[in-house]
Amino acid sequence: MAETAATPALGIDRLSRPPESQLRLAWRSFRRNRLAVAGGVVLLLLYVVALFAPVLAPYDYRAFNPGQPLKPPSAQHWMGTDRQTRDVFSRVLVGSRVSLAVGFAAVSLIMLIGITLGAVAGYLGGIVDNVIMRLTDIMLAIPLLFLLIAAAALFTPGIRTTVIVIGFTSWMTTARLVRGEFLRLKALDYVLAARALGASTPRIMARHLLPNALPAIIVQATLWLSYAILLESSLSFLGLGVQPPTPSWGNMLADGRVDMRMGWWVAVFPGMAIFVTVLAFNLVGDGLRDAFDPWRRER
Amino acid sequence: MTPASRAYIVRRIVLLPFLLVGLSIVVFALIHLAPGDPALAFISEQAMDPELVEQVRRNLGLDKPLPVQYAVWASHVIRLDFGTAYTFNRTPVIDLVRERLGVTVQLQGLALLVALALAIPIGVISAQRRYSLFDHTTTVGVLLGLALPNFWIALLLQLLFAVKLGWLPAFGSGADAHGLQKVAHYVMPVTVLATTVLPIFVRFMRSSMLDVISQDYVRTARAKGLPERAVIYGHALRNALIPMVTVVGNQLAGLLSGSVIVEYIFGWPGLGSLAYESILRRDYPVILALTLLAGSFILIVNVLVDIVYALIDPRISFD
Repeated sequence: MAETAATPALGIDRLSRPPESQLRLAWRSFRRNRLAVAGGVVLLLLYVVALFAPVLAPYDYRAFNPGQPLKPPSAQHWMGTDRQTRDVFSRVLVGSRVSLAVGFAAVSLIMLIGITLGAVAGYLGGIVDNVIMRLTDIMLAIPLLFLLIAAAALFTPGIRTTVIVIGFTSWMTTARLVRGEFLRLKALDYVLAARALGASTPRIMARHLLPNALPAIIVQATLWLSYAILLESSLSFLGLGVQPPTPSWGNMLADGRVDMRMGWWVAVFPGMAIFVTVLAFNLVGDGLRDAFDPWRRER
Repeated sequence: MTPASRAYIVRRIVLLPFLLVGLSIVVFALIHLAPGDPALAFISEQAMDPELVEQVRRNLGLDKPLPVQYAVWASHVIRLDFGTAYTFNRTPVIDLVRERLGVTVQLQGLALLVALALAIPIGVISAQRRYSLFDHTTTVGVLLGLALPNFWIALLLQLLFAVKLGWLPAFGSGADAHGLQKVAHYVMPVTVLATTVLPIFVRFMRSSMLDVISQDYVRTARAKGLPERAVIYGHALRNALIPMVTVVGNQLAGLLSGSVIVEYIFGWPGLGSLAYESILRRDYPVILALTLLAGSFILIVNVLVDIVYALIDPRISFD
C-alpha cells in the first residue's frame, strides 16, 4: 500500500524508471501474502529441524528406555514413548529428515520426467505429442494409489524404491502443464526470431522456452512436494514405503494404528507433523501461484 | 451441441478403445517388469523344487515370450475372464471382484453424495456472502482439509469414536448387523472418504458461483426485482453447477485411491482392500484385473463427463 501511495499518479515517471524484473515483482507480491510467508517460515524451521535432528533430539531415536513401553507424554518424553519404549518426539524429529528428503528427491524425479516429456511433446507436436499425451491420459486414469502400491510391490521396499515409484507414477500433471506452456510459448515471435538467427532446437527449448515456463513449473513443484510427502507417508503407512527401523512419519503412524488402544500419542503426533508440513507447502505453493500471476498480483 | 463439440465428442469416443488397449499394455508391462517370480508366489509355501517351479511356470504360460503372454491374457480379458487368483483359494478373479464390488460402490457413492450435499450449500453461501465470517471460515477449512492425510483422519476418528467414546464400531462392514447398528458401521469410512474430496468441491463450487454471480444475466434478474433467493437458486446455482460435473469426474480416481486406505483401516471387504491384499500376496492376476478395471472405469467416465458437459451447456465448444 505504501509503495503505491508513494508513486506519482502520472504514468510518465513510471516509464522513466527501468522496468522491474518479473522475479522482483513476484517476490514483492509473495511477501505481502501473510499466509504464504507464514508457510515459508514453517518450512524454513522444518528444514532446520531436519538438518539438526540428531542434535536436537533429546534421545537417540533407536534407543530403548527399558521398562517404559507406551508411556504418555511427560516432561521426560514430550510425545510419550512407543511400544518398543523409544522416544516418540525424537523419532518425529528424525522422521522429518526421511519425509522431507524422500519428498524432495521424488519431486526432482517427477520434474525431470514431466518436464522432459512435456517439453518434447509441446515443442515437437505431431505424433510424438500424441503418443506422449495419450500415455499421460492412460496413466492418469489409473487411481494413483493402485498404481503406486502395485509398483511399490514389484521392488524391495525402502527409501530408494519409494522415491522411484512416486517419481514414475506422478509425472503426468507436470508433463501436461509443461506441454501447455511450451505450446503457448513456441508460437511467440521471439522464438521465431531465435530460430531465424539459427538457434538449434535443443537450445531454443533450454534457453528460450524453459526459463519462461519456469514460474509455472516452480508452483507445480511446490505443490507436488506436499503431494509427494503425503504419498510417501501413505505408502509407508501401508508398509510398502520406508521400512522400519528407519523412522518416517508414515510408518510411525502404522505403529500408532496397532497400539491405538494403548496410547493415542503414537498415532497423533507423527500425523500432526505430516499435516503441518503439507499445509505449509500448500500455502507457499498457493502464494507463489498468485505472485507469479500478473492478473492476481495486487498492485 | 455445436458441430465443433460434436466432432470433439466423436473423436473422444473413437479414441476410447485405443486408450483402453493402451491401458492394458501399460498395466501388463508394469506387472511383468517385476523382478519377483509369479510362479514362486503361486507355489507359496510348498517345497521349492526347481522342477515343480518349472512346471508351474509352464502351466501358467509364464515360459512364453511377453508379447505372446499379453496376447493370451488380452484375448481372455476381452471376455472378462481374468483367470483364477494365485491365492484366495484359487477363486476366479472375476468372482472375487464381483463379490467385493458392492461394498466399494456403496462407500464411494455415499461419500460422493455426502460431499456434494455439503459442498454445494457451503460453496453457495460462501460466494453469496463473500468476505463474511462464514466465507473466511470456509476458506480456512478448505486449506486445512486439503492438508489432512486421510489415513490420519481415519485413525483419529477411530481413536475418538471407537476407542475412547465407544459410539461407533472400529472395524468391519457390519454384514450381520441391522438397522442403526449397520448404519453405525458406515459413518466413519464414509466421513473419511468424503473429507478427502469435500475441500476440493467446496473450493470449486465457491469460485464457480462467484463467476456466475458477476454475470450480466444475474444482474438483470436482480434488476427486474426478483427476490435474492430466486436469483441465487433459480438462475445462478443452475449454471454454477455445470462445471462441477467435470470436477466430480476428475475426483473419481482420487476417491478410488482413498478406498485402499479406508477399506484397509476400517476392515471393509471391498476392492480397495482386495488390491492391498493381492499386492501383499503378489497375486498378479488380481492386481492386473483391478488396475485394469479401475483405469477403464475412469477412462469411460471421463468420456461420459465430456458428453454430459456438452449436452447440458450448449455454450461449450471444444477446440
